Order: sequence, then structure tokens, then C-alpha cells
Amino acid sequence: MLHELTFTFPGGTRTLPPAWSHTGVVGSGDLEILLRQADLGGGMEFHVVTPVRGFDEVWEKILGRFAAEANLGDVRIQINDNNATPFVVSLRLKQALSEAMEGGNAS
Amino acid sequence: MTSWTEMQNRSFYEATARQRAKYLLDEGTFHELVGPEAGLSSPHLPVLGEAVSFDDGVVTGVGKIGRRPVFVISQEGRFIGGSVGEVGGAKMVGVFQSALALYEKAAAKYPGDESRLPAILISFETGGVRLHEANAGLLAHAEVMEQIQICRGKIPVLSLVGSKLGCFGGMGFVSGATDLTIMSELGRVGLTGPEVIEEVLGKREFDASNRALIYRTTGGKHRHIMGSANYLAADTIHAFRAQVQRILALPYAEITAHRSIGSPALVEEQLGLTALAAEIKPKDAAEVWAYYGNANCETIPDLSTDEFLQHVKTRKGGSAS
Repeated sequence: MLHELTFTFPGGTRTLPPAWSHTGVVGSGDLEILLRQADLGGGMEFHVVTPVRGFDEVWEKILGRFAAEANLGDVRIQINDNNATPFVVSLRLKQALSEAMEGGNAS
Repeated sequence: MTSWTEMQNRSFYEATARQRAKYLLDEGTFHELVGPEAGLSSPHLPVLGEAVSFDDGVVTGVGKIGRRPVFVISQEGRFIGGSVGEVGGAKMVGVFQSALALYEKAAAKYPGDESRLPAILISFETGGVRLHEANAGLLAHAEVMEQIQICRGKIPVLSLVGSKLGCFGGMGFVSGATDLTIMSELGRVGLTGPEVIEEVLGKREFDASNRALIYRTTGGKHRHIMGSANYLAADTIHAFRAQVQRILALPYAEITAHRSIGSPALVEEQLGLTALAAEIKPKDAAEVWAYYGNANCETIPDLSTDEFLQHVKTRKGGSAS
């Protein structure tokens, strides 16, 4: 079975400009990220789906750091991972955030 | 963010499925159908512990090229080899159904005006059936084939092959069943992929590590000489888009005249090719190029697309471009 992880963090002051925004491709060693406005009482929620087990704490650290930097509230972030390294995860999160803040790529 | 105009000069070979879908169409017109926000991923992969994708590896959408509504199906090779599973297959079929529904309305509203009628582009990047969901994947191939036949006489269906993985397996048949095919020289079309041939028949039959051999046998230039790649485009999104624009400006009868299946005469033509192969027993694609009147065949792989198109002699005579 695929491993599913959920993390919640206190949200920031910014809100997501588009209703949703999508970045990335689920290639080998890569991942895709879907950011969505959600009524979470100002919080930030991550939902990760990955074939990899045993790295829950690493996910929590990376996502927690990103949540603090992103300063976004009322956002749900869904990630489909395919064995990406922590560095790639951070990079793609930054890319996803920058695309979303520019208005997203929803068509 | 990179602009639409800047994206036109990007490599088609390297572009993602979503980029190809969006930038083949007129600026700002692409509307994705069942996009990532719909979250329709494979129900079969999670139980196997395999990564899933929000779009199941197929980007589907609609936009415009000129006055025409143009539907696009674009496969993502990075996701499980662009393989066709149940959800991705259903999305492909859904595009045909939507296009057919729109055709009926548009044909009634604009009688005699082909420039308002829908077209379908399929940007292939696939090895065929997703083995993890084999039955559903096979069924999807059959359903797409059926939809292509239903579109006959109504909607031009164009194959575009120029992405990293090429177009292999059952989807090789599907691309051959459309009205016509546009390839770049980096594109490859085949049924059984090189690795599988080597695995089954041995390295002496086909050396899958020999990239030059693979391109000579399945690549865009060879396919163009043989007539199965009707048009050869340079490796940019713009070049593919420009070729699509030129084709969609033609009358439907001229577009569909490129078909390689679908009539007794075409079956005879294909059987003739099989007989020819038995007769001349080529050891290499270059021998077939020479048979069709090309000189200096050893230099053909090194020619640029433009040089190649200027000098090449093809089975159907001259260059279609």
C-alpha cells in the first residue's frame, strides 16, 4: 500500500491568490504538488502520498520549515511523491509556492 | 513565469505533457479537462505501493487554433513510462466524446464552414499498456481505436510524436490509426520497443544499446521515408504547432487522405510493404532508404531536418512538407 501522511501547522498571514495551483510531474525521484485554498481556521495542512516508508520525521521537518517560510494560511497542500530526495522536495515546494503566488497555473 | 511566446522555442522533446498541451494551442485558450484539481488518480496503483499522479499521466484539454476548437490529449512519459491505465484511458475516450458532441453542434450551426469544426491532437509519449492495470489499459486502447473510427468523416485526428519516450506498444497502433502523423527526427514510433525485441529475440536480432540503430529503425526520418510520418517538424513546440496550423487550414478531405488504414486499397498497400520486406530482406533501414532512391544514405542521420527534407526521396514520392 502507498504510505499516506498528514501534517498540520499553524498558518501565516498570506493567502493563496488562485483557488488552486499545480506544479511538477510524478517522475522517478520527483513529485507533484497541488496547493488549494481551504477553510482550515487559518492553518496549513499537508497530505503526502508516497511509496517510501520510514521517513515520516524527515517529511515533518521539511514541510514544517516550508510552512514557516511560506507564511500562508488556509491552504491545503497535497503531494504525490515518487521517491524524491529531501532536497528535491524543498526545491519543488519553493517552485510551487512561487508559481502559486504569481497567480498559479490553473487554466 | 515563462511567457507563451518564450515557450514556443522550447524543445518539444523535453516539454512536459502539460506544456505540450498548453503551448500547441493559441495563447491563453487552453482549458484543462479533468485536471489535477479533479484528483482522478489510478485506483489500482496504491494497492501495489506504486506512486500515483493527480492526472494519471494524461493531460486532456481544449482550446483554440484560429477559429477551430482543438482538443488535446498529451501523455506524460515521466509518469510510469506514459503508460495507459484505466483513468488515463477513460480521459482519452472522454476527449473524443466531447469533441464529437461539439462537432454535431458546430456542424449544425456553421454549415459548410470547416474552419469552425473541432479537431483532436494526440501528443504521444508512451510505451503502451500500463502492465499494473493491464486489462483496463488494453481496453482503453480498443476504446480509443473505436473513437478514432467514429471520428472518420467528421473530425481530423492528428498524431504528434517527438517526445523522449517515443510512441510504442499498443499506442503505436493507435497513432497509426489517426488521420496523419507529425514527427520530429527525435520522435520514435514502433510496436515492440527495442529492449523487448532484444529480450525476446537476442542482441543479434536487435541491439537495444545501439541508439543509432534505434533511430535508423524507428526514428522520425525513417518513418518519413516510409510514409508513416506524413510530416517532419523541427524539435520545437513552435515547429509542431506551425505544422498543425498548416494542416488544419486544409480541407478535411485532404487531411484524411493521409490515412494509412481504413480501406481495402490501404490494406493492399500495407501488404505490399510486407511483401517488399520479404523480397529485399534489408539488414538495415539504410538499405530501404537506398531502395527508395536516396544516395549517401550513411549521411542521412546527420542531416538537419531542413537539409533532410530538401533532399530526401520518400516511398510516397518527394517530401510531404
